[in-house]
Amino acid sequence: MLQFSKFVAVRAALAVLTLVLVSFIVFTLMELVPGDCAERYVAFKSSQGSVITAADIQIERVRLGLDQPYVQRWGSWIFNAFQGEFGDSCILRVNIAQLLGQKFWLSLGLCLSALLLAYAIAIPVGIIAATSKNAVLNNSLRLVSYLGLALPNFLLALMIMLFSTVFFGDSLTGLFSKEYRDAPWDYDKVMDFLGHAWLPVFILGWSATAFAIQTVRALMSDEIGKLYVTAAAARGVSGRRLLMRYPARHALSPIINSLGFDLNRIFTELPIVALILTLTEAGSLLIEALARSNDQQLAGAIIFMLTASIVGINFITDIILALTDPRIRRSIVG
Amino acid sequence: MTDITNTDASLDQKLKEAYFTAGQGQLIWQRFKKNKSALAGAWVLIALILSGIFAPFLTPYDATIAGRDKDYMNGAPQIPIFWDDNGFSIRPFIYSFERSRSIKTNFRWVTEIKSELEDRRYVTFFAKGQEFKFLGIKFERHLFGVDRGMIHIFGTDSTGKDIYSRTMTAINTSMAVGTIGVVIAFFMALVIGGVSGYYGGKIDAVLQMITDTVKTIPSIPLFMALAAFVPDTWSAEERFFFISVVLGLIGWTTLARRIRTHLLSERNQEYVLAAELCGASPGHVIRRHLLPSFTSYIIVDLVISFPYMILAETALSFIGLGLKDPVNSLGVMLQNVTSADVLLNYQWYFIPVIFFIILVLAFVFVGDGLRDAADPYSDAK
Repeated sequence: MLQFSKFVAVRAALAVLTLVLVSFIVFTLMELVPGDCAERYVAFKSSQGSVITAADIQIERVRLGLDQPYVQRWGSWIFNAFQGEFGDSCILRVNIAQLLGQKFWLSLGLCLSALLLAYAIAIPVGIIAATSKNAVLNNSLRLVSYLGLALPNFLLALMIMLFSTVFFGDSLTGLFSKEYRDAPWDYDKVMDFLGHAWLPVFILGWSATAFAIQTVRALMSDEIGKLYVTAAAARGVSGRRLLMRYPARHALSPIINSLGFDLNRIFTELPIVALILTLTEAGSLLIEALARSNDQQLAGAIIFMLTASIVGINFITDIILALTDPRIRRSIVG
Repeated sequence: MTDITNTDASLDQKLKEAYFTAGQGQLIWQRFKKNKSALAGAWVLIALILSGIFAPFLTPYDATIAGRDKDYMNGAPQIPIFWDDNGFSIRPFIYSFERSRSIKTNFRWVTEIKSELEDRRYVTFFAKGQEFKFLGIKFERHLFGVDRGMIHIFGTDSTGKDIYSRTMTAINTSMAVGTIGVVIAFFMALVIGGVSGYYGGKIDAVLQMITDTVKTIPSIPLFMALAAFVPDTWSAEERFFFISVVLGLIGWTTLARRIRTHLLSERNQEYVLAAELCGASPGHVIRRHLLPSFTSYIIVDLVISFPYMILAETALSFIGLGLKDPVNSLGVMLQNVTSADVLLNYQWYFIPVIFFIILVLAFVFVGDGLRDAADPYSDAK
């Protein structure tokens, strides 16, 4: 038990260290963008008619703490970031945490559902593909997984929009119907949301599913030829029971390990898919922040939060693996 | 009788000799040839690359605003045909048209096709057209054109630019972006993976930590943050170069990891020890002994990472953070296609997507084929 908590502590420390490194990269990027917050505030005042001098900008810098050394500002940024506080966006002039709040959780929820969907499809299909000798099935699965790469999510989203507009006259965009957009959450709103959310979830999960099928199939085919499977079959275990109890258990543990990586892939495409499907509630805020207004505070906060969720997933999967896989548990406890 | 067995045996002998004396490249090529889908992918890829390179000749018009057809904006594809009600023609032809808009058409341009015999526009081959430069020499012949007016086999966009011409040029752009990106990613991976794998220990731990961190940050949001630095005043070419460099600067992690893993296992081999005992410097050992031991893997990885670069560029340009107008790429062409107007009325805007799916698929097939071919144990299966 002591060793296990030591393992958890080391993993947690590593995760925090990764986040600190990420925050350094993100913070440096934010700093490199020309112009700082003081200049923007003052530029805003200037547009309101007041006369601005260089001294005013300097006073504003001192007020915002921008005159302090780089490392110190990074330190306070990351200290606040870990508490979920990212300060104000100096272009929108609102608190970033409030602005993102629900939107971030909605996006994360969409991505996690996409991930869930991907594996809900990929695990059974991959296992069947690995065990069956049906050439048609195998070739069509291969084609699907190639298409998963060649037709990335945003192109798929475009194509689906094209077809639904041509054939159904509805472009299937948005996350809520108009009447529910600002309504408080209740049963009807949830139903309306689910009615809209399936498409983004499907599109976000598309590439991930194609890749996951390929992975599950490869891992399964590796395991299925091994001696312990033959031995189990010789003992009279057969059919689904044999597959589930022996090779599938081994094949699936590397998959748990790569969940964080899959989530990364889904996050990568989120902003663009969100832009196409006009999901203003989700990732298109990032594009808004970067492309339209160059709002580095907002962009930095979003990238940091996305990465933090990936690091979090990686940490959780490490712990789950250590708990469920006796081989790994053994190597920790010794 | 003996004669035949003799020749058989000697043939067999020769084959074996050829097999055992074959270089790495020859062996890979032998195995690659057997993989039908990879071979087909390779031909398609070569065809696409060549059509990208010879785009100015293969396409009838300039892909930039200079080649626009101001009488046929948002025009539907014109497919050349051989016969109609007025009879058969050995030369393919398209029809003339008249465009008008008025209160009756709700102020939209409406095209009226005139299908009389005298309205035929015949397709001509090696037609004289706009001048273009190729390898510094000026040419004015294009593969095809029409005897009067202009021909747009994939239609035109909202400014009247020929979509077919743009598609062919865009292949070129994608290949160029991919090449620059892959080369930069390759050098970074080589240096970081090489140092990390060769020295191991603490240096390795630190470098791996950095690699993992860069890998955790979702790449396209990171691309977006970097691409947002480009000032609006930059020219299209500067933008193009910057975007390619950014793609390379982020895309090195996977390859670096693979190089490192390989080096870690190779550096304990006897031939490395022998070289070190002879007094070879670390740089020399990495360059002359370790890298050649897995050149083929590196090449395979480069081919595999190519489509990712192309797709990342497409995504960036699509949202308006990548390349901009005078430079043509799939992403640039797909800007603004999400409007209901385009989706309902101008579906030919999506024709280039087909070419890019084929391009990426060809890369994937060739990459997979090469990976299997470069694996010395794949014969055993």
